[in-house]
Amino acid sequence: MTTIIEAMGLSKRYGTHVALDQVNFSVQSGRIVGLIGRNGAGKTTALKAILGLTPHTGSVSVFGLDPSRERNALMKDVCFIADTAVLPRWLRVANAIDYVEGVHPRFQRARAEEFLSHTDIRQRSRIGELSKGMITQLHLALILAIDARLLVLDEPTIGLDLIYRRQFYDTLLNDYFDYERTILLTTHQVEEVENLLTDVLFVDRGHIVLDASVEAIAERYIQVNVATDQIEAARALHPFYERQIFGRPTMLFEDQTRGALSGLGELRTPGIADLFVAKVQTEAA
Amino acid sequence: MKSLQVQIRREFWEHRALWIAPLSVAAALLAVVALFGHQQLVHLDTTDGVTAAGGRAPPVFEIMIIGWAMIFYVTAAIMASVYLMDCLYGERRDRSILFWKSLPVSNTQTVLVKFLVGLVIVPLGSFLLAAVTSALASGILEVRHRAALNGDLSLWNTITWLRLQGVMLYAVVVTLLWYAPYAAYLMLASAWARRSPYMWALIPPILLVLFEHMVFGTNYVSRILLRSYGELSKLAFRTYGGSGPLANIPDPAGLLASPQFWLGLAAAALMLALAIRLRRYRDDS
Repeated sequence: MTTIIEAMGLSKRYGTHVALDQVNFSVQSGRIVGLIGRNGAGKTTALKAILGLTPHTGSVSVFGLDPSRERNALMKDVCFIADTAVLPRWLRVANAIDYVEGVHPRFQRARAEEFLSHTDIRQRSRIGELSKGMITQLHLALILAIDARLLVLDEPTIGLDLIYRRQFYDTLLNDYFDYERTILLTTHQVEEVENLLTDVLFVDRGHIVLDASVEAIAERYIQVNVATDQIEAARALHPFYERQIFGRPTMLFEDQTRGALSGLGELRTPGIADLFVAKVQTEAA
Repeated sequence: MKSLQVQIRREFWEHRALWIAPLSVAAALLAVVALFGHQQLVHLDTTDGVTAAGGRAPPVFEIMIIGWAMIFYVTAAIMASVYLMDCLYGERRDRSILFWKSLPVSNTQTVLVKFLVGLVIVPLGSFLLAAVTSALASGILEVRHRAALNGDLSLWNTITWLRLQGVMLYAVVVTLLWYAPYAAYLMLASAWARRSPYMWALIPPILLVLFEHMVFGTNYVSRILLRSYGELSKLAFRTYGGSGPLANIPDPAGLLASPQFWLGLAAAALMLALAIRLRRYRDDS
């Protein structure tokens, strides 16, 4: 496992608004990393810095290259889907394939065509005639046919119905991911990618509030559905977050042993969505 | 090479008017000649007189060929201007720029390809189409002529036609080099504009000219900006006595010795460099 993305002191302002404030993080190869945050938290800005699409301060390196200066070389190893709207409406499906084949040295036409043959997309169609879900399928077909080492996805399933969203992530896992490639994705629909990710980066108001692997989360965080008679005892152990579900308190503990918590109620590993909400709300307080 | 080829084709996929308009002009011209050529020919015959075949064709033939070609060149100039103003703006408007930037094609390459299409491929393509169309149209006239007048008289003269094509090719090449800064300026406006690149292309030079006129009462800037065709003709041709278009003799040395010519190219290079920079760093989202 090697470090493929390294960001140090990454900052970006839009006028007076600070989108990213001195952010440090790294991404290892063979991982599926979720960059999770609310709208406007700085996720897309971080991705743009990684892809060399926006000027910023601080340093970013991807495969040892500077993305803003060496984007051309970098894009041979990196693919990205910004969101479904970016394939131009005037382009025909067949021409989209011709174009990517022409400019990308690692594109395998047969792979893209094979993938498309399982969909309702016809090569004669213009992209403007396709549904949103089909456009995403087409984009995915183009991307999957490129033998890239890093795939960056920015809200890839936004605006899609459940079936297309599910298909999208299934395809990604089954046809693309092979433990050598790396996927970095942003989403605000955490539930959908929960079981997919190996690592999470929580971003909130320009800061990273959690950077951990899923295994580390299972070790460090414990969620307790506290029994009604144990509430005071549980609070004495300093949960960092508490909320009521059906009148019963659920508390989240950081760096506590299972032994210390076992008498308080039902113990679970928190879901990423729950942990995210807890982290962001406690940071805000 | 394959990459360059597909990048050029991509421009014609997006801007279909670039090839549809000249082909429509050719079709319309051939149709008009086929339908009305006979009457026109008889009319010309009686006014100008016609020498017997073998001698120099009368100026009417030269004027006809040049007149037809002008229709193509004017069309090409309009199409190319509209194209250049739109080419870097359109991809930001529909956000497809994020798709193009996800592929290993540098900003420099992208901008230069678009410049090449607008400034070189469209005009030279129009020249070729005009040449072919003029030969076809002359052929149609010839057939009708022979049918009507039993074939003694002929407008067609191969040597004259070839000489005309030579002079026109030279004129097209020097014209596009002369107006290269215009093309680069339109691209710069296109890369700069957040909306309405047409306004950005038109308003600054108009304001500059008005300002100079009102404040200083001079028109130096206007004359520099205008780069009149008359000035180009004086630099690039020597005129001998005699009538007709072939009295103008190409004089490339005169053009190459003029500072205006080189200053124009330098300005074009500078504006292209700015357009490339803008495409790299402009971040509208």
